[in-house]
Amino acid sequence: MASPTLFHLQIYRTLPEIERADAIVDRISKAIALGLLKVGERLPPEAALSEMFGVGGATLREALAALRGQGVVETRRGRSGGTFVVSQPRTQTDVIRDWFLSTSISEIRDIGDEHSAIAATTIRLACERAEAHDFDRLQELARALVLAATPEARAPADSRFHVELAISAQSPRLAAAEIRLQEETVQQLWTPLTVPFDPEQATAEHLELVRAVAQDQPEKAQKLVLEHIRRNIFHLIDTKLTLGYAQSIQDVQ
Amino acid sequence: MKPSTEVVHAATGLTSWINGVCTETENLSRNVASLLERNLAGKSKVGKSSLTGLDELAREFLTQNAFAVGSGTFFATESVEEGGHALEWWSRKESGVMKRLHLDLTPGSNRYYDYEKLPFFSTAAATGEQTLWGPYIDYLGFEEYILTFAAPFSVHGHFTGVSGCDIRIKDLEPLIMPNLRSIPGDAALINASNRVILGNSGMYLVGERVKSGSANQHRMALDVPHLGLSLIYTA
Repeated sequence: MASPTLFHLQIYRTLPEIERADAIVDRISKAIALGLLKVGERLPPEAALSEMFGVGGATLREALAALRGQGVVETRRGRSGGTFVVSQPRTQTDVIRDWFLSTSISEIRDIGDEHSAIAATTIRLACERAEAHDFDRLQELARALVLAATPEARAPADSRFHVELAISAQSPRLAAAEIRLQEETVQQLWTPLTVPFDPEQATAEHLELVRAVAQDQPEKAQKLVLEHIRRNIFHLIDTKLTLGYAQSIQDVQ
Repeated sequence: MKPSTEVVHAATGLTSWINGVCTETENLSRNVASLLERNLAGKSKVGKSSLTGLDELAREFLTQNAFAVGSGTFFATESVEEGGHALEWWSRKESGVMKRLHLDLTPGSNRYYDYEKLPFFSTAAATGEQTLWGPYIDYLGFEEYILTFAAPFSVHGHFTGVSGCDIRIKDLEPLIMPNLRSIPGDAALINASNRVILGNSGMYLVGERVKSGSANQHRMALDVPHLGLSLIYTA
């Protein structure tokens, strides 16, 4: 190879410091979550941390600032100062609970409205455009949901089925919309905060959808997918009501 | 059949909360009218100088009424100089900062906000009484899913405009849900056109039109003048 071109210089340039700061945040958060670092424990001094992580002082301070922002560590001044672990990092469940508390019923209904519009057209196109090998694949993906052993595994199995169904409809834009909608709600659906969502019924509904697509029955497929979304949205609204307004009855009286 | 104690209790709670909003809206509209009478000082039409102090009233309303996200006044074309449009509307941003709402008032433009045709204005103008419009998506206006309370006012005996406030549906939910949730069965607050403002379950979803039908669906009119509100419930 002759002298490096501009492109090569671009490809092989030094990694940005920001990614290394993120890696430090991730490493420390995980250690706290696993109990390797305990609440109240003091982290080594900044100079020692920079050396151990092999990063510059600025990168380390950026990482500590991010952890402080998340309320995970606190930096105290003075002789007995330093950086201390003050709380557990927020878990996925906390994040989902916050989503339910901060999202109104009108917004949840609206997500359902958009999802219904996307899913109805997607499945009609899938009836026209999917072929035999798509049916087999979709059937396999539908079964993967009921075979998933934990709630954590159910969310990706569920969204995978819907995304692949959209992919069989041959529209990149509709598939992108389906992916976005899945990312927005699938964790909320399967994280067991109140009454857990039933994977057997969801799987049965997915298999029925595949059957309607395989038999090229667009009317039936559309009706089924709309009912499927409606049931999901009802589950989200019920969860919202339970988490957000459980105390209401006592409060009013 | 007589409504249950829970339904009566919830209806009383809702009625008193909504009447509270109506009273605040009515007071705002009265204050706007008296400010204008002073500002106009004998002039017949509203001009730029007659609007002095209206911004203060709108901001004061928002400060005192945390439930509202917007407040102010819209004028009728015939009460404004040179057939122009005029408004003074303020909204509270996420950050808590209050900002004046700028609307496109040029007829024929792509983003023309023809407020005189919107029901919160036209109904108040036609009936001379307070109105409630929504839930609606305030396209080209505040651009959120809201309810608008509006009360008409007159200056020197002529209808001049409406003053009122916007409440985001999202903000309304935690304020009135406790009342609705105290009813054991499915129940909802609905507006004069049978549209759900808020329901206590997935049965009645905000924005949907309620079809009367099932024999066990009951309706109780709320004692709030002119707004046509009802509580529906299944028993």
